[in-house]
Formats: sequence, structure tokens, C-alpha cells
Amino acid sequence: VDKIENTIIDEKIYTCKLDNGLTIMVIPKKDFTSKYVIWATHYGSIDNCFVLPDENKEIKVPDGIAHFLEHKLFEQENGVNSLDALTNLGASANAYTSFNHTAYLFETTDNFYECLDEFMDYVQNPYFTDENVEKEKGIIGQEIHIGDDSPEWQLYFNFLKAAYHNFPVKIDIAGTQESISKIDKEVLYKCYNTFYNPSNMVIAFAGDFNENDIVEEVKKRLKPTKRQAEIKRIFEDEPIEVKDKKVEKNMEVSLPLFLLGYKIVPETDDIIKRHVAIEILLELIVGKSSKTYHDLYEQGLIISEFGLDYDFEKKYAHLTIEGQSKAPEEVINKIKSKIQEYKQNGINKKDYNRIKKMLHGEYIKQFDSVDKVARMFISDYFKGINSLDYLDAYENIEQDYVENVLNEIFKENNEVISIINPN
Amino acid sequence: MQYTKKELKQGINLHFLNTCKFKTNLVAVFLTLPLNKETITLNALVPSILRRGTSTLPTMEDISIRLEELYGSAFDCGIEKRGDNAVIKFYIENVNPKFLNTQDEVLKSCIELILDIVFNPVLENGIFKPEYVEKEKETIRQLIESKIDNKDLYALERAIEEMFKDEPFSVYKYGYIDKLNEIIANEAFNHYKNIIKQARIDMFVSGEFDNKDISNYINEKLEFLTPRESQILISQGNEVAQINTVFENMDISQGKLVIGLRINQKDEDIKSVISVYNTILGGSSNSKLFQNVREKNSLAYTIGSNFIMQKYSILIRGGIEIENYQKALDIIKVQIQDMKTGNFTDEDLKIAKKYITNSMNTLQDSAAPMIDYYLSQDLFEQNKKTIEQYIEKINSVTREQILALANDIDIDTIYFLTNEGGK
Repeated sequence: VDKIENTIIDEKIYTCKLDNGLTIMVIPKKDFTSKYVIWATHYGSIDNCFVLPDENKEIKVPDGIAHFLEHKLFEQENGVNSLDALTNLGASANAYTSFNHTAYLFETTDNFYECLDEFMDYVQNPYFTDENVEKEKGIIGQEIHIGDDSPEWQLYFNFLKAAYHNFPVKIDIAGTQESISKIDKEVLYKCYNTFYNPSNMVIAFAGDFNENDIVEEVKKRLKPTKRQAEIKRIFEDEPIEVKDKKVEKNMEVSLPLFLLGYKIVPETDDIIKRHVAIEILLELIVGKSSKTYHDLYEQGLIISEFGLDYDFEKKYAHLTIEGQSKAPEEVINKIKSKIQEYKQNGINKKDYNRIKKMLHGEYIKQFDSVDKVARMFISDYFKGINSLDYLDAYENIEQDYVENVLNEIFKENNEVISIINPN
Repeated sequence: MQYTKKELKQGINLHFLNTCKFKTNLVAVFLTLPLNKETITLNALVPSILRRGTSTLPTMEDISIRLEELYGSAFDCGIEKRGDNAVIKFYIENVNPKFLNTQDEVLKSCIELILDIVFNPVLENGIFKPEYVEKEKETIRQLIESKIDNKDLYALERAIEEMFKDEPFSVYKYGYIDKLNEIIANEAFNHYKNIIKQARIDMFVSGEFDNKDISNYINEKLEFLTPRESQILISQGNEVAQINTVFENMDISQGKLVIGLRINQKDEDIKSVISVYNTILGGSSNSKLFQNVREKNSLAYTIGSNFIMQKYSILIRGGIEIENYQKALDIIKVQIQDMKTGNFTDEDLKIAKKYITNSMNTLQDSAAPMIDYYLSQDLFEQNKKTIEQYIEKINSVTREQILALANDIDIDTIYFLTNEGGK
């Protein structure tokens, strides 16, 4: 068991890799009443084409299958639904699917080991039948409809569809009514057997835990499995340029929604530094204390803060600036000219230091919640990051580096505008 | 966690939640007033104006910069309904400086800032700056109009409006456009002065700090306030006369169904019984609604119920295929009927109690819900309960009590957001 500690924020994480390849993380949070566990596999909506390890054969699976599998895993052969079983023990349990991982989780203040029994049992024992697969299509069909009616969801996925030619991040995580209709139990088992091997998984515990006890308790509950070689995932080549520069759609909304996004070539070395640099840049350009934001607010062109995000993985990266405005084009043009201004004049030292200080504080706040902290470590893990390494970046990142990133990422041919107009 | 309350003056209270487990402090100020259609728009406008500037930090940009300097302290404000009362709320959260390697007095600076925002606004000729008032009227107007953007919330708001027509609780928390148009700076400022004179004031500080030091600091800052009669409305709510069914059309792909239930027993002690009843009916994934509407019949992805404690009401909400309206409604009605005839098991009862216990225990792991809990207890309950006492109360609920209660619960309103094609 390895330990990494930061004495200033008084936080530590223990990690351990078992013989079967499973990674265990323990983030001790003394005095917390809740215990939170999340078990994730490096398998998300983008993994729709891969080589079956046993047959050495390439396979393309229907869109939305990782998410479908997530729904179905709760059902057990003895008729028990594990979501109910965990609820019955007093836990609150859930699961989610993202672009690059699927995670199962529960939080409880009581009956912890009974919950862990049920939890580890169901994730390791899929039970799919024609009937239970068919039944799920109605439920997931309704989940897809929620996205259809959500202006924010449509805004974001229209951006992704315009930004990417081939890369499957452009596909809705839940798939479509049509694509899920093709899912059957055979293909679900194939995906399960490929991606739910312990060597492709990580389990994280946040709460009042002892790290050595946890490792033993996990081992006790693991089914014997052979360590698997790395899974070969197949992605078509993705051009650097975006597919479409602009995408618009009409929906029932009160004011237009807009998104200005940039597709970025993923960084392989300084991923944390790059992330922090982009956070700093977004804050400087359109953040809460920026002149752009306040001018636009005064002019009545926006009513609330911009949504700022940088989403990245080993295979893709993009940043987005979102908002709502009666004049979206005008706002987007102002943001773009501000970016140009920064490129020409550089960054003001005082603003730079203040934003750094702010992001540093924001980062520490995440440690106040067992679920946030566990989810942060899990999603960073799949990016090849140890979350605690961010602290160093927040304190030491150099302005020159940030200015270089500024000049590199905001380019005309990487830019996409997505707009949702009122009907 | 240690909770203490001190009355500074009549109607003005200081609450402390002392705990060392967080990295942050959370400070909150609540101004509670009776809810009514005439004043709600002004009440919604006031916090919006106050966040624009203080006498020392006269612009929103100044405040944002100050918050960033305080290591990313976060400020937020707004308005909410609690039963038939309006609560204007202000929050500020900071990272405890010991985790930032600094000696700065961040907490006191944050307390000073939040109190300045609430009590020391920037003025022009002795009243609010007309420019700010006009701008914030526009912001509130857009908030009111954006009600339609989130279909789930829109359906919920509309159902509340229908169900509580003759009660203050029916008002929309951001108010009304026609009233908004009439407001001038002078009126807004006079209204604000009345709030400061008359509203019940509750201030909370949570985290790790020296009680005596912080108490003295706040006491001194609030010295100028005068005692007031508090005016908390504890309403019982109307009885069901006949079921009100409302259909509304919108361009949507998923129908949103909301069913309002009235509880005809209105004493404080029954609340714990209602809470258990609601959990069995629709509070968790083990509930009758989730099991029957979603799992057995695949009609919905989201289905559940919420207990509106201060109004002795339960709201059932689900997203369904439009053509399945009657089928879903019938299944929901069967569940309500089952509760009356006792068609639920002792196990269901046990599970519901565990579920509530777990969520109450989990509450103690974050500051905001704890503050929320203690504020509600203090505003509305005659017999104030600690979390432990609340859990005890839940665990003493019997099957007989639930049966008796179930027969005093009736459908009041059925609201369905549909599209032109459906009916």
C-alpha cells in the first residue's frame, strides 16, 4: 500500500494494486459519518469499437451500450435488484456512465460491510435475459427523452457533433432510441467480459477507513479472475480541424443559449499544468471578476455567469464557454475580441496571481465531501493523474507557460459555435 | 458537531455549528418574511440589488475581486419559499486559512463582506442606485421568463400554482412581470428598509473558529439593528374540495406528470409519520412508485414523490411517454390506494425508516444542509429536535399510524404537461 500525503491541506491517499490488476484507493476522512465507495471501469460511451480479447476479433457495438450495461448490472439471477437491496440496507446507491468510464457507487452510515457484500457481488455477477434487456429499453427510452427536451444537453451535444468528425465523444452517452433497440444479451455479455476485468477497474473508498483493513476486505470479496492484457480500443483518425463551424437549433426556451467551444489536441505530458493553465485563462477572459463579464452584464447582454469547462481525456480535449443571451452573436464576438486582446497584450500579473489564489481555494473545497473527493480521484485516475498533484500546479504554475497555452489553443479553425434559439 | 443558538435581540438570532471536520467555513444570513403576491417581486429584487455593491465595494466587479483575493471565497444569494414565508438568503464560504499556509483572517473578512452586502449597500442620493435597480429588474424579468426552460421545474411550479391557488405558497418565488415593471428605485429602497426593520434575522456560522471572538465580532457589527416581533406564518393548508385536473400544451417530447396530495392531519407530531409514508410511497428506489411505475411497467425513468413539510402536502412527479398518461395515472392511484388498505409490508416500513435515518446522518457531513435543518427547526417547530431526536421520532412510527394517516390523504391536483398531439 502506497501513501501520498499533503501535510498542508492535511489529506492523504493510499493506493494499492492487487495481483489481479485491480487498483484500490483509500481516502481517509476522519469524523465523517458517511462512507462512500465507488467502483469504476475504464469503459464509457466512446468505447464502441474494440478487439475481443479471447477471439482476437474486432467488434463494433451499438451506441449507448456502456450505459445500458450500467442499468442492467443491478439485476441479479435470484430475482433481487441490487439497487433495492442496498436501499434496504439503508444505503443510497447509484451508478453513472460518462464518456470514458462507468461507475457504481453507494454511500452509507450504517451496515457498511453488508452493503459492500451486496455491492461487490452485483458488479461481479451480471445476469442478462432477453426479457430483462427488453424491459430496460422503455426506461432508457424515457431517459433519452429527458436529454431531447433539455436545452443545455442539446447545446452541448450539438457542439460535440460539430467539433468532431469521427471521435465517438460526439455520440449521446445513452445512445438513441434506434441504437438501443439493437442491444441484446449476447452483446452485453461481450462488453461485460471485455471491460469488467479487475485490471481495467479501480475502486475508491472515502470516509473513516483504515487502508489495510479495506484492502483485505476487498480481496475477500473478489471472484478469482485472470489478469487481462490491456484492451485494444479502436478509434478512427480524428482531424485537428472541426467538422462544422456553427450549429443552430430551435427549442422551447425563453432566451437563446450559446456555446463557444474550442477543440484542442490532447496534451500527453503536462496534463495537470495544461488543465490549470486553461482554468486560469477561462477565468481571466470571462470569469466572475473579468471586465468582459461585467461589461456584458451591464449592457444587459447576459443575465448570469458563464459556464466554463475544460473536458479532456487521453484521446480528446475541448473547452467550452456557455451562457444565455438575447444577442448571442454579439456576446460571442466580444469574447473572441477579448481573447485576441489577451493574445496581443499578455496577462496582467496582479490578475494572474489573484485567479491562481482563487482556483487554489476552490480546489481545496472539494475535500469537504466524501463523494466529491472520491469521484475526483477516480476520474483523474483514468486520465493518468493523481489529484493531489494539482496543489503544486496551483502554487507554482508560471505565467509564461499560461501565455503559451493561450496562443496555442484559441485558433479559428478549432472553434465551434452552438446556439439554441427560441421557437 | 456542536449546535448553539443565541438570541442577540428579539427576532435576531446567531447560530453556531462548531466542527473541525471541514476545510471550510460557511456563513449564512436569512431574512424571513410573510409570503404574499404583492411583496414577492420586491422581495426577489432586493437581494439581486444588494449583491451589486456595498458602500466600500461599490460594484459587482469589486466584490468578485475581493472574493478571489480571499482565496476563492464564494458568495451567493437568492430567495426561497418555506411554507407561506419568503426567505431571502445570503451565503459566503471560505477555506480555513490553515489549509492555505497563510495567517490571513479570512473568516472575519468574509463575515464583514456578507454583512456589508446585506446591511450596507451602495447608495446614490440616499437610495439604491437607480441604474442598479433597473438592471436587476431586467435580470429578474429574464429569470421569470426562463421558467419554461426547464420542463420539469416548469411543470412543478405550475402544479404548485394550481394546487395552492388560494394560499400564499402558490406565488412564484421571483414574482411577476407586471409588478416588476412598476418598481422604482425609491420604492425598492423603502421596501428594503422595511425588511431590515421587520424581518426575522438568522445568522449562521459553521466550521472551526473561536465562538467568543466571532460572537463578539458579529454582535458589534449588528449593534445597530432594533428588536422586532417575528412574523413566521405556520399555515395548515386547505382541504381538498374536488380533484382539479389541468392539461397544458408545450413543444416537448416527454410528458411531465405532477400529482398533488393533501394531508388532512395537521399537527406537528404527524410530520414524522408523513415522512415515512412518503418514503414508502415514492421517496426511494425501493418505493412503490419506483417499483411499479418504473421497474415493473417501464413507464418512466424519473418517478418519485416529495413531502412539502410546511404545507402538509406531497407532490408526485414523473416523466412519461405522452400516450401513457392514463396508464401511469392508474398505476399511481393504485399505489395511493394500497397505502390506505395497508398493502405494504413491515419490511417496507423498516426500509423506509433506515432510508431516512441514513439521509439524516449523511446530512451531518456537509454544512449547508445542516444549516438548512436547524433553520427549519427554529422557524417552524414548537418542539425543536436535534438530528438524533428527529431520527428517534422517525423510528417510533408504527404501521397503525401510517394506515390512519393514509386514509387522511387525498389527491388534490393532477397536472400534465403534454404536447398538442397528446391528451
